[in-house]
Amino acid sequence: MSTTALLALLAGCGTGSDPDAEMTLLSSREQLIRLSVDLRGVHPSETELQYIEANPDLYVDYVDRYMADSRFTPRMREIFNQRFLTRTDSTYGRMVDGASGSEVARAIGDEPLQLVSYIIDNDLPYSEIVLADYTIANPLLAEIWDLDREETEAGGWSIAYYTDSRPMAGILTMNSTWSRYPSMDGNANRHRANAVSNMLLCDDYLSRPIVLDRAAVDQLTVDPESAISENASCQSCHSTLDPLSAHFFGFFSYDDDDDFTGVYRPELEEGWRDYANKAPGFYGVPTANIPEMAELLAEDTRFADCAVQTVWEGLTQRTLVDEDWSEFQSHREAFVDSDQSVRTLVRNIVLSESYRATGSSDPELNERLASLKMVSPTQFSTIIEDITGYTWSFSGVDGLTSNGSGLPVLLGGIDGDTVTNRSYDPSVGAVFIQERLAQSAGYYVATHDLAASRGEDAILLLYVTSEDTPDSNPEAFDAQVRHLYLTATGIPLAEDATEPANLMVVWDQVYSIEGSVTAAWSSVISAVLRDPRVLTY
Amino acid sequence: MSFSRRSLLSNAGALAALSAIGWNPKMARAAAGERKFIFFFAGGGWDTTTVFDPHHGSERVDMDPETLTESLGNLSFTIGEDRPEVDRFFTRWGGHSAIVNGMDAKSVGHASATQFSLTGTSASSYPDWPTLLASRAAGDYPLPHLVFSGPNLAGTQGGAVVRAGGGTLLDLIDGSIVGTSDVPAPQLSTPSDSIVDAYVYEQTAKFLASRGAGSERADALLTNLERGMEIEGRRFEAGLSDLGSSILEQSIKAAEMMRLGLSRCAMIGIPGGWDCHGDVSVNAGQFDNFFDALDQLMDHLSTTPGLAAPWLIDEVVVVALSEFGRTPLVNGSGGKDHWPYNSALVVGSGVRGNRMIGRTDDGLIGQTIDFSTGEASDSGDIIGPENLGAALMQLGGIDPTSHLPGVQVLDALLR
Repeated sequence: MSTTALLALLAGCGTGSDPDAEMTLLSSREQLIRLSVDLRGVHPSETELQYIEANPDLYVDYVDRYMADSRFTPRMREIFNQRFLTRTDSTYGRMVDGASGSEVARAIGDEPLQLVSYIIDNDLPYSEIVLADYTIANPLLAEIWDLDREETEAGGWSIAYYTDSRPMAGILTMNSTWSRYPSMDGNANRHRANAVSNMLLCDDYLSRPIVLDRAAVDQLTVDPESAISENASCQSCHSTLDPLSAHFFGFFSYDDDDDFTGVYRPELEEGWRDYANKAPGFYGVPTANIPEMAELLAEDTRFADCAVQTVWEGLTQRTLVDEDWSEFQSHREAFVDSDQSVRTLVRNIVLSESYRATGSSDPELNERLASLKMVSPTQFSTIIEDITGYTWSFSGVDGLTSNGSGLPVLLGGIDGDTVTNRSYDPSVGAVFIQERLAQSAGYYVATHDLAASRGEDAILLLYVTSEDTPDSNPEAFDAQVRHLYLTATGIPLAEDATEPANLMVVWDQVYSIEGSVTAAWSSVISAVLRDPRVLTY
Repeated sequence: MSFSRRSLLSNAGALAALSAIGWNPKMARAAAGERKFIFFFAGGGWDTTTVFDPHHGSERVDMDPETLTESLGNLSFTIGEDRPEVDRFFTRWGGHSAIVNGMDAKSVGHASATQFSLTGTSASSYPDWPTLLASRAAGDYPLPHLVFSGPNLAGTQGGAVVRAGGGTLLDLIDGSIVGTSDVPAPQLSTPSDSIVDAYVYEQTAKFLASRGAGSERADALLTNLERGMEIEGRRFEAGLSDLGSSILEQSIKAAEMMRLGLSRCAMIGIPGGWDCHGDVSVNAGQFDNFFDALDQLMDHLSTTPGLAAPWLIDEVVVVALSEFGRTPLVNGSGGKDHWPYNSALVVGSGVRGNRMIGRTDDGLIGQTIDFSTGEASDSGDIIGPENLGAALMQLGGIDPTSHLPGVQVLDALLR
């Protein structure tokens, strides 16, 4: 075989895709809806949809416009949380006067994610996540961790500093990180080391299929620490895990409730000598402290790989597999060539054909593509709020963004603790959530829009009044139903669509049972909000 | 996908008319005789010697000195005054029970061992046993796999899983949640609710039809809409006002869901701090509480009519697992640490009861066995979670090779 032929063969290996495969792209409208929901968590306006329908080339402009939207970085925080898992419902024993438990929990959970936001807002290299010599805090978090925070006019999240003289290395030295990932006596910071590996290298030691041989088992019986240090099976993880663990003994202090104290204690830094006795190091390279390890971490090729994987999986709702290698490489190159710009990475992904596709002529790729994507609990909340102005809150807390209610998990989301992987398949729980939120939002809109004393503009019922019935004003009903669908789904009904007539029947039937115009319109609005295209994109 | 349910629901006009008079779809039924599964999971790693794998007399295993080995038929287990329910359970239900010992957990990390024990692999894309059994059921179940508590590894089959935790699911099913939000809404009457449901069903079916290739999620949406409509209509029949909080209440509720054909699988976490690094003796009380609940569950299963069989006990398989075992020797704190050899208890329909399957040596190390007999055999293999899982699949009517090709089935478990 010639060298050229061999190279050609090798080039084909691992891509797993037919190079001549053709993608079936979503319509222009659907592409813009997908883009907007992914980057902003809301549907595009009808004006935007008409523009792109008239000129599909505007897609690129909308990519830039949506990435400049204030809702872009919250979406990135949501995506990175799927990797970091720092948003839980736990306060880790912290209480602050005047703040609710969920506010405290959210402030703590968001510390690492707000650094991601800061990096993206300022287009800094992603490596700043481990190299920053500061943290990011809002006034509440500053109070929780006793931080020295730069004041801002808005009182939001800004640069802040720990006051206990700890070495600073971004996410690696945040109290929030080590509260989320504690380590007790005996574990000797291994849980934390694995968290670093998992969050920043996408390498979960716990997922390694280690088979302990008989010698390892025998040795573990007699002397576990020696087995960990000497046995080949154990060493396959511990040779790199334990030196990584050794960096974090300054954070190895706990209160009576086993919560991390939040105080860095330099005098504990050498604590590794009392456990595995493995000096700090990063995959074979000795390191003196956390910042030095962070430098090596940021230079590790897996660090960039992991960032790309995190964003790509978050935006495509796919799990990276070997067959995606070719596509993955193109995004990785863009990321690395741009000095680890997350914005460039996102741009590269959403401009790719596979992102905008609904299918492929290559059956294997077609199998891997997410032709229909499920909204996350947060996206569903913001979409409904954007359409109706309604937020499904309980005691002041958004039920779809707070884990305390259990609703996010039922909708396929994560709680960062017991449920750590999103489910993209709609379950019966998701169906019920859509139904009940649609009913609540429908009622909210109907009572608002049909109120005789209403001062402000109608939210959705622009074409009808409380006096109209399907019989008395069928044209207005027809226009109203078409408007509801357009606003809720972004897709106009066809001229000969049956939905208006069918919903007039629904209106009539509900009215005849309930005897209430508000109930009838609530039902119609909720029926439209339960369209599959509201829950999917 | 349900042919019977969907074909009946597909006539939306008829459905709307029926809905208007308060009719709800409830024609779906579990496939006749299809086995259901109740899984219990002791999160943290249980000490196998406390009940399942006694080693009195071995110098290499620390046993509670206040305990004895009890033999009953072919079964051997640890008894003691602090765990009377263990003896009671096996005395009453030993004929239905198989104890699996010497199972290689493959890992001593909680997360990875949980993954191995429930999926047989380290791959996160694999669903756990109950999710798999529920998602590939022959029958239709509105709540295919109901997770009361404990782990759920849905893999790629999240659409089959419903998490019951916190009571929120019940509020969603009965609609009361709309009245409890900060901006509450009144609940529609059942006929009005059904009218809207019928319209939404028709729209979702149209959406699915328009998708063509790659429409799995659209199909899941329609399937779960059907399930939702059915469960709404049957919530009173199912007593879905309270899913229970104790292990016994949840067990009985799970059995009821199966009796009504609403669920095929359930997962219930066994309460207790099983991860006993500091004091292994706590496991005794936890096992005692568990076997007390299990005894009452078996009573319920044996006196409750099944869907196709005379009694539920003829249709339901009960599986108790943990992610790994504990070390043979007590550590300096009086506890036991993580150990890769594990046990499991399998009870009920299709299970060859009164059986000890697999064994550990006098150092609590798993031995090779003949998978067809469960007896020690030098030419055999050590049991892994995948072998147990393959047997559960076989019990559930699923070809194990379709999911775990090349994996030996633990035939000794099967009747």
